[in-house]
Parts: sequence; C-alpha cells; structure tokens
Amino acid sequence: MSPLRAEARLLLRSGRNLFAVILLLMLTSAAVWSGLVQMDAQRATIERVEREQTRDLAAVEAAQAGPKGEAGYNAYYAFMLTQDPPPALAFAAIGQRDLQPFVLRIRALGLEAQRYDSENYNAELALPGVFDWAFVLIYLAPLVIIALTHDMVTAEREAGRLRLLLSLPGSGLWRRRTGLRYALVLAALALPLITGAIIAGAPVAGTFGIMLAAALYCAFWFGLALLIGAALRASATAAAAMIGCWIVPTLVIPTLGNAAIAGAIPAGKGIDLTLAQREVVHKGWDIPKEETFEPFFVNHPEWRGKEEFEGRFHWKWYYAMHQVGDETVAQDVADYRGALTARDKWTSRLGLILPGVGTMNVMHRLADTDSTAGFAYQDSIAAYHERLRKFYYPYMFNDKAFTRADFAQIPRYTSRVPGGSLPAGSLVALLLAAALFLWLGARKVTRVSSARDSRPKDD
Amino acid sequence: MSSVGLIARDEWRALLRNRAGLLASGLLVLLVLVASFTSLERRVAIEADRERYQASVDEQFDQQPDRHPHRMVHYGQFVFRPIAPLAFFDTGVDSYTGNTIFLEGHRQNSANFAEARQSSLLMRFGQLTPAFVLQTLAPLLLIFLGFASISRERERGTLRLMAAQGVAARQVMQGKLLAHGVIALVIGLPAFLVLGGFAATGAASWAAVLPMIGGYAAWLLLWAVLGVILSAVLRRSRDVLAVLIGLWMVGVILLPRALPVAAEARTQLDTNIETEIALHREVAEIGDSHDPDDPYFNDFRQRVLDEYGVESVEDLPVQYAGLVSIEGERLTTGIYADAAERSRAREDAQNALVHDFSLISPLIAIRQLSMTLAGSDLAAHYDFLQQTEAFRYDFVQRLNRMQAELIPGIGGEDPRISAEYWQDIPRFHYQAPSPFDRPSDLIWPAAVLLGWLAALSVLAVWASRRLERNLR
Repeated sequence: MSPLRAEARLLLRSGRNLFAVILLLMLTSAAVWSGLVQMDAQRATIERVEREQTRDLAAVEAAQAGPKGEAGYNAYYAFMLTQDPPPALAFAAIGQRDLQPFVLRIRALGLEAQRYDSENYNAELALPGVFDWAFVLIYLAPLVIIALTHDMVTAEREAGRLRLLLSLPGSGLWRRRTGLRYALVLAALALPLITGAIIAGAPVAGTFGIMLAAALYCAFWFGLALLIGAALRASATAAAAMIGCWIVPTLVIPTLGNAAIAGAIPAGKGIDLTLAQREVVHKGWDIPKEETFEPFFVNHPEWRGKEEFEGRFHWKWYYAMHQVGDETVAQDVADYRGALTARDKWTSRLGLILPGVGTMNVMHRLADTDSTAGFAYQDSIAAYHERLRKFYYPYMFNDKAFTRADFAQIPRYTSRVPGGSLPAGSLVALLLAAALFLWLGARKVTRVSSARDSRPKDD
Repeated sequence: MSSVGLIARDEWRALLRNRAGLLASGLLVLLVLVASFTSLERRVAIEADRERYQASVDEQFDQQPDRHPHRMVHYGQFVFRPIAPLAFFDTGVDSYTGNTIFLEGHRQNSANFAEARQSSLLMRFGQLTPAFVLQTLAPLLLIFLGFASISRERERGTLRLMAAQGVAARQVMQGKLLAHGVIALVIGLPAFLVLGGFAATGAASWAAVLPMIGGYAAWLLLWAVLGVILSAVLRRSRDVLAVLIGLWMVGVILLPRALPVAAEARTQLDTNIETEIALHREVAEIGDSHDPDDPYFNDFRQRVLDEYGVESVEDLPVQYAGLVSIEGERLTTGIYADAAERSRAREDAQNALVHDFSLISPLIAIRQLSMTLAGSDLAAHYDFLQQTEAFRYDFVQRLNRMQAELIPGIGGEDPRISAEYWQDIPRFHYQAPSPFDRPSDLIWPAAVLLGWLAALSVLAVWASRRLERNLR
C-alpha cells in the first residue's frame, strides 16, 4: 500500500474528518443549488415582467400611436424595459444582485429622476447577506480546514506518536497529509461548483478563474493552519487560536473597513443631484422658453432653428427641459458615481491585504455581480435613454405624426454583454498571501520534525 | 464561602491567568466601544443630513412662484426618514431600506438611496454596530472562555479530586454556571452602560433600553450556559469547542442566510413594474375621464352636477377637471394601497417563516427584539411608508381642491394661483412609531429567548446529574 493511500485511509477513518468533508460537500451543494434557484427566480421575474411589459406597450400603442399620434404622448406613456439578466456564473457569487434592481423601466423624461429607483425586495431577508457558493467558500471552508488540520501535529504529540513518526524513514509526511486534506477540501468545493457551472452553461475560463481563487484562498488557510498547528502544543489551544485567526479577518476587519470607507467617502451626491434636477425641470415652466432651448442646443445643435412654436406648450420644449435638467446636474452625477467607485476601489485595496475580501472581489468580478457590474448596467441604461430620446426628437421638432409603424421602430434595450474579468492585481495578492503562509507553515512544520522533542506538555 | 462560590472564584482566577482570553475580552470591549462611537457619530451625521435636506426642500417648496396647482402636484415633496435614536445601537434594516421618497400626484415612488445600494460588497460582511458585536462576536468569546470550564477539570483529574473532597457535581455545575454567567454579563456591561447612558441623557426611553438590555443579557447568558453544559456533557475539551463552534456557525451565520432562500422560494414578491402596470390596467378598467361616453365618469359627472344643482359642467362654480383629478387620485391611491398591502402581506409571510426558526436559532429572536426596540425594524420602515402615503394623499388632494375651487375665478390661458397658497400646504412631520405598538414583535422573541434559557436550565440539571453519576 502506498504511503499516500495509507494516509487517506487514516484520514477518512476518523469520524470527525469524514464528517467535516461531507458537511462541506453538502453545504457547497446546497449553496450551488440555492444560487441556481435564486438566479432562475431572477430570470423568471424578468420573463414575467417582459410579458406584462408587452401587454402594457400594446395598450399604449393602441391608445397613442396612429395617424394623429403625437410623439410626445407616446414618449410619455411608453415606459421601456431595461433588464440585466444574471450572468451564467452569478449562481456561484450572487453579490449585490439581491439588492440592485435587475429590471428598470425608463422613458424619455429626465433620466436622473428615474435611474435610482429601487425595486421591491424584502430588506429583512437581504440583511444577513446572500447564501451562495462564495459565502460557503469565504466563511465556512476555513472552518472545515481548521477542523481537518488543527490537530495534525498536536494529535500525534498528544497520542505520544510524534517521536516515532518523525524517526521513521522517508520524507514528506506532512506534505502528504496536508496535500491530501487540501485535495479533499478542493474537491468538495469544486465538484458542486463545476456541476452548477455545467447546468448554468457558465464559461470554462470564468469557472476556472473562480476555482483558482478558491484554491489560493484555501492554500492560504492551510498555510496558516500549519503555522499555528505546529507552533502550539495542545489541540484545543490550536483550534481556539485558529478560530481567533478566522474571526478577525472575516468578521472584524471587514466591518471596521466598511465603517471607515463609508465614513471617509460620503455618497450624499445622489440626493443632491435628484433635488437639483427637480428644481431645474420645474423652473423651466416659469422662465422664457429660450432659456431652456439655449442650453439644450449646446449639446443638440442639430435642432437649432426649429424651436419656435405657438401657444404655451409643445412637447419638444418639454423634453428639452427634461434633458437640460439632466445636463445641469451632470457634475453631481459624476461626483456621485465617483464616490461609489472610490468606495469600491478602497474595498479592492483592502482585499489586497485581506485574503477573504480579496477572494470575494476576485470571484464577484469574474461572475460580474459586483458594483462594477451595477455601474455597467447603469451606464447601459443611460446610453439607451440617449438613444430613446434622440429617436423621438425628429418627430417632435419636425411635428411629424407618430404612427403605429413608428411605434414599432422605438428602440428596444438590449441587455449588456456580461463583462466578467479577472482582476490580476487581487489575484496576485492572493497568490502571494497563499505562497507566504504555505512557506511559513511548511517551515514551522519542518522544524517540528527536526528539532523539538515530543515530550507532552500540558497547557 | 460556599463551595459554589469557591468554584466560581477559582474559575475567574483561572480565566484571569488565561492571557489569550483576557486579550480577546479586552478586544471585544474595545470593539463595543469603537462600534458605539462610530455608529453614534454616523447616526448624528445622518440625522443632521436628513434634517438639513428636509428643511431645505420644505423651504424650496415655499419659494415656488405663482403656479397652476397641478404643477405643484408634480413638483411634489421630498420626505426624509428621520433616524431612530437607538438605531445607532442596531442599524437593523435601515441600511437596506431607502430613506427618501419623492411624493407626487398619482404615482407612488420607491424609497431610494439605501446605503446598501451605495456600498461595495464589503457591507455584506456585516455592519459595525454594538448589536453586531453582541449578536455575532460576543457568543464566540463566551465559547472560548467557557468550553473548557468543566472538561478541563475532567481532563486534569481535578474533577475527581473535588468529588473525593465531597463537592457534589451539582455544586461544580452551579459554580461554573455562576462564574460564566457573571462573565457573560460583564462582557455585555460596556454595551449596557452605553445604552444606559444614552437613556440617562434622555436621548432614548428607558422603556426601550431596559428590555433591550434584558434581551441581550438573556442572549449572552444563553451562550455561557450552553458552553458550561456541553463542557460537562462531552468528554474532551476539543469536542466541546467543535460542537459549540458548529452551533454558532449554524445558528448565527448559516441559518440566517439560508432561511431567506426558502422564504423567497415559497413566497414571491411582485416587482414594482408589475404593480405599476397592473395599476394602469385597473385604472383603465374603471374608466377613462377623457371619453365622453365612459359610464363611470358619466356617472361621476351626473353626481357632481346633482350635488351642485346645475345642468352642465360649464355651469359649475368649480373646475370640473379639478374634481376629476380629486376622483382620479382617490381611485389610484386606493389601488396603490391594495398593492402595498398585498406586498406587505407577502413580505410578512416571508419573514414569518424566518421568525419561526428562531426556536432553532435564537439569533433571529434577539435580532428581531433588538431591531424592534431600536426602531430600525422593517415594521418601522413600513410605518414610515404609510405615513408618507397618507401625507402624500392629503397634500395632493389639497392642491387638487385648490385647482377645482380657485382656477375658475382666475381663467386665462395660463391660470396660476398665488404662491402664498403653498404655505397652506402641510409639510411632512414624521411621528416615530413606538416599538410597543406591535407587542407581538417583542413578546415572541422575548418568549423564545426566555424559553431557551428555561430549556437550558433543565438541561443543566440533567447534565449535573449525569456528571454526578459519571464521577461515582
């Protein structure tokens, strides 16, 4: 029997170790299943909304479009649907998708009064955070690793076998033991993930990237566990110390970091810009029409000369007024986005030193479910809004009837292409952390083997 | 001194020698203080911000020029939710709910700019508040301090020694329970002092603070007692630690996250978009005020004409369009209220499923108790939404009445009423709900926590009998 196989039998004969591995496998499977269910629910919601939307648009078309149809009314009543279906890998790392709207209706009125609307979600259910594969990996896998490794050295010492083990010929005892445990943990994480990825039709590269991040994150924990396990004498002390090492970077520092980031980078500009936009739009009714058209022509010179109309109201003026409202607050909008991006950037920086946060960043970037994905959806909404209003302008400025044929031409939103990417910097930081702790752990374990005696000492 | 007291004193001495334990306890106390301080500072900043915003939008409303009242219906009013005083201690769902709503005629806008939507993923690790420290971290510290309380004595053989000296297992158990119960309360003490200080300055009521202290004391005691019992029952210290950590993991981290998935799978919420579309359809089904042959609005017109005793709309002393606006607002508001009620019932059903599991995971009980007393629970958010909706309906209808009553006297192509009328439109005055308005939100979690303590007491008696048998 090969030494490796002997180790495997030894490892799995222990009820506790077997239990820990099976538990991890079950939790990972449950998390993958839960992620798939949640993302399917989001897809089903999108389909449901699309069906309702089709009926709604048909009603607007019947009521508003026709030989005497006015573009202004159509643009006012035809809310257009934008949707952000979950990317294939979202099941593994749901991220902010439970909070950020993935459907939003937009019309050609001022964008800034529409794009920050929230969707309906149950805040109390969102409060504890999502249950997905990423959660199992970041929070639970380290505890399983601790359960498997905390007494690798100390148990031998406590059983009085350490000296004997060390005196045996052959090398690589700890490497075999660690490697075996590492392989088991990774398998318990990977099998459900890969199954889920196949079901979801996820890209191979992305799945591989997520698995790579997971492998590095686990390697970091194995390194840390070796380091502590070899440094301490009693199993219970080692376990307690390792769990202490788990609490600080997974529970304490992230919450401190979040409080610090939120305090240092306020995001009040969102409210400011909304209030400012309302003032501009409503002031438009009380000022001469030229004062609305002039700023509008700055970015829309093609309509200069077509602004004249009789009477008090014309749709072209109304929509120009809304557009000017948006343009007036452009700086606030940029500042608001800047604040949110800065919060995200500092989270990435924190991830460079905290492997848990780093792994979270890498996975959600690969799955395209992080803030960056939210910004991309927002940007695609803004781009679509521009297409939409520019589609209506010719009808309004040329006083052209809006027929059913024209209604059919209203541009439709096309969902953005999922833009998952590999954040190289975070991954390298993760790699360095894993390598450093594996090296430290290995060094400590080798010292146990060569120098210390195995005299049991109570502590 | 009784042997129970001696055992407790001995345990405290042993723990004082445990440098890692002291360090961890010190860190936890520090964390409670840091969390209190930063969270308090944050609350003050949020409160000041929202007050400033509310004052500025109210002033802007007053400063609007002469206008047609319907324009003011769509100029609308922004309202900001004031933050509850105790929300610094437990932010509850506050960060996950929007805190500002734009109120206008015949539309129900969403509450926007929730902090969670403006934060990175980091927020999902938890928010640094005293409640987070007490709910999530303090049990871990109690586990570390308590897991070896009796198993250590057994492993070292001192347990037998005590038995030989005539100390009953019951006394050992009581001594250790006393020791760790006191430790649990000492660990909670800084947070309790913060709460007490807050109440003493009058910033929060004792009626909310005292049950909060009681709830957290029960929650912390629960973990201390659980630790001692398991330490008496299981043979090895490390097994005690493994089981306790496992219970913490499942009860505090796993279940609160996994249960919402089940709740969402069982009860789905409609999107706002579907609600909106359904509303438009329902309104269209009632009638179209622009259609001269519409039965509903013909009926309405006839009623109006009868009421004023005139023959035609032109003879009315008021503007008919204004009356139609009032009627339309009444209809849409009713439909919105129905939709909101349905949505709320579904969310309640989802949350009820999670709350049922508080029997297994008492974290859910202490979380609910704490949020409710802090005024940062979902019910408080709903209360805010209801208040804003009632306010919205009132001010929109006042403006509609102004349109109906004042516009006929003005006439012209661009009829406007004097800006002085905007002063007559009320401003939003939030009435903070009392947590005791919904006693069931407090009684159930309190009952669950006390039930756990009672069950653990019974278990402690059983464990000490078992210990006695094993020692004989």
